[in-house]
Amino acid sequence: MSKHKTNRLKTTKLIGPMVDKHWADLRTAKKRGEMVAWCSGPMFIFPYAMGMKCHFMAGYAAYAGGRGAADDLLKIAESEGDMLDTCSYHKAHMGMAMAIKKGIPVREDVILPMPDLLITGRLCTEMSHYAEGLYRRMDINVVGIDTPPPVNESLIPNLEKYCEDQVRGSLIPRVEEICGKSFDYDRLIEIMAILKETCILRNECWEYFKKIPSPWTLWDYGVSIAPVFYMMGSPDAVPYYTQLRDELAERAEKGIGAIEPEKYRVYWDGWLPWGFLGQFSRKMTDLGIVPLVGRYPWEFFPHPETIDLNGDPIKEFVKQVYSNGGLAKQNLPNMSLPSIQKWVEEYSLDGLIMFSSKSCRMWNLGHPDFIKAIEKKHNIPGVVIEGDMVDSRMNSFGQIDTRLEALAEMMAARKK
Amino acid sequence: MDKKPIEQCMEISTNPYDYLKKWKIDNNKKIISCFAMNMPEEIVFASGMIPVISWRSDEPVTMGHSHLATFNCGLTRSFIDDLLKEKLDFIDGIAVNRMCLQAQGLPFLLEQASKMPYIEYLSLPALYDDKVSYNYLIEEFKRFTTGLEKVSGNTVTDDTLNNAIDIYNKNRGLLSEIYELRRKNPGIIAGKEMLAVVHSSMVMAKDINNTLLEKVVEELNNRKQTLSKDDRIKVITYGGLCQTVNSELLDIIEDLGMVIVDDDIFVGSKYFANPVEKNGNPYEALGNRYMKKTPPCPTKGDYRTDWTDYIIEMAEKNNAKGIISLMIKYCPPHMCYYPDIKNKLAAKGIPEILVEVEHEIISFEQVKTRLQTFVEILQGV
Repeated sequence: MSKHKTNRLKTTKLIGPMVDKHWADLRTAKKRGEMVAWCSGPMFIFPYAMGMKCHFMAGYAAYAGGRGAADDLLKIAESEGDMLDTCSYHKAHMGMAMAIKKGIPVREDVILPMPDLLITGRLCTEMSHYAEGLYRRMDINVVGIDTPPPVNESLIPNLEKYCEDQVRGSLIPRVEEICGKSFDYDRLIEIMAILKETCILRNECWEYFKKIPSPWTLWDYGVSIAPVFYMMGSPDAVPYYTQLRDELAERAEKGIGAIEPEKYRVYWDGWLPWGFLGQFSRKMTDLGIVPLVGRYPWEFFPHPETIDLNGDPIKEFVKQVYSNGGLAKQNLPNMSLPSIQKWVEEYSLDGLIMFSSKSCRMWNLGHPDFIKAIEKKHNIPGVVIEGDMVDSRMNSFGQIDTRLEALAEMMAARKK
Repeated sequence: MDKKPIEQCMEISTNPYDYLKKWKIDNNKKIISCFAMNMPEEIVFASGMIPVISWRSDEPVTMGHSHLATFNCGLTRSFIDDLLKEKLDFIDGIAVNRMCLQAQGLPFLLEQASKMPYIEYLSLPALYDDKVSYNYLIEEFKRFTTGLEKVSGNTVTDDTLNNAIDIYNKNRGLLSEIYELRRKNPGIIAGKEMLAVVHSSMVMAKDINNTLLEKVVEELNNRKQTLSKDDRIKVITYGGLCQTVNSELLDIIEDLGMVIVDDDIFVGSKYFANPVEKNGNPYEALGNRYMKKTPPCPTKGDYRTDWTDYIIEMAEKNNAKGIISLMIKYCPPHMCYYPDIKNKLAAKGIPEILVEVEHEIISFEQVKTRLQTFVEILQGV
């Protein structure tokens, strides 16, 4: 029996029904005569402003993984020729599209309606490939917005102009054409106002990760990301984060930790293992390991306070992707190593876990070097864990156990 | 007796390290290693340095795996491995462009694995909105130029850039001529020889390579005189993005009774397609070449141009009976495209076989058996 116990938050229990409602609304949108978009990257704010229902690529794959439906979608994709090593998020969508096209039965709660518009935000090049594949197979409307992540700050001014020009020149005219009406800038500003208010509350919640013991874990934040991202503008977002902040404040005041006793505080790099959060959580809890911070979960609009609601809304949004927010900055190792180094001290970390997704070549590059650089500077150990965010065939829990145990032993030795 | 031109190409392609080390000593010029697939090499050349397309070695990756996982492509892993083994000490800088996810992360890995004084990353655009992408692209090219001028100490002028474009266009013309000779005379040059010819262009200074390629044309014209009719089954290869495919594979294909009559691979016709059309502004001319949508390049985000149609057209033009997909293991742009190519070819009744090109582990016997079966299928067509 474990020596450690988990204190679950009351507030995070609310998120499941909110997320289910989001996907159910999307699933049934066509029946209500509503327009549907699919989106990769952060550009869903624009169809939302026009009242379209919108899917978000990574959000959907995570949702399908969390509901235990990903393996079936991956099998359908592979039966159509997709390769084992292809991005599992890409394949989940190809599987869904082929299920619809060929009438292959899949679980109803993960069915997606075919979109009226596919917006490909090319933050990672795979996000482009998925749109290209869907265009070829389903012959649907596509608008591409290229948002290359910067390898250094000097590239940002050109990238912002490039992104802004595409939004004004391609995305907005296309959304107007599909919806048959002028773009709703007032609604865009309203959504950004809600995003700003929600994320400011969220940032207050992030502060509680610094408490020892921490009243919540990275898994708790992971399941709470939707309201600050693909459920952006939802009326449920501010009440959710207000309640979450209040619960964390109460726990912090009483000294209640999410894992008790909290033994090791760790950084988690890469995707969250959406299909296997429970398994990872139990294994880490058994060892007293508490995940607290990670560059992937931190990419979602880290600096909403900089949004100027009186400014040009498109420029303001683009700044959240690049200069003022830095959403795109965390994608490449060059830009993220300094953040990780800063977090080691801010969050009093004892170790590092690099979750290296076998099917994602964006979030695994740099892992061994991150560990070397941080170990040298801060004398904390790290391990690389290979797996996948939703493909169960790529997670070997025997190996994962061994690596987590090794990390715990190394952290114990350094803490003496 | 002097080695024949194609033999010289084979030698340079087999051991580019020694060739370039010696060349550098003899010519006292800086060498910039440029990653595939769409690098504006002319700008590097115009800066007085020599661009060399980055290659993967023929050694298994060992030290490289201390920096990146085994499930990344052979080129990425092998290049880092070569840097760590100090096999690339003769290069003076590295330029990477945004062709895929692995390339996006490369600048960081290169910084960690070497003390290279110059590492540049070109964030090349997707071909979504032609005008916006083009304007952004020209700015990237100019930024690239500024960095190169600092490293080389030379100024890139319109004249030096136009001169480089002329030299590169001549090279493209010569390679096109060699390809045309193969199309008209199947079997005149073996697959691995053709690979070496194109690879020599990627490794050598283009003006020197032009002289060699002129001799290759002459050699092939001489071969033509004695060439007997090749009864082997015509096939085309496509894929092989960013890196050389194993020449042994090409030997197996041809030993089994097939002859490669054309290709759409990177170390092949993709590399030299489309001359730069000069229009007075060399940056715009280079930009126009990048913006071209054929041959289709799955790294450019162009969803409208169908790669399969291009391959089918190539097969039809050459009366090829089958298509061999050469897929670099862990290459997302090709992996994501492949199901659509496979299914469309199958729907049209065009025989196709997939061969995965792996860096370290490749069972040639298994590949041979599969290709033998493919030949039998083609013989029945």
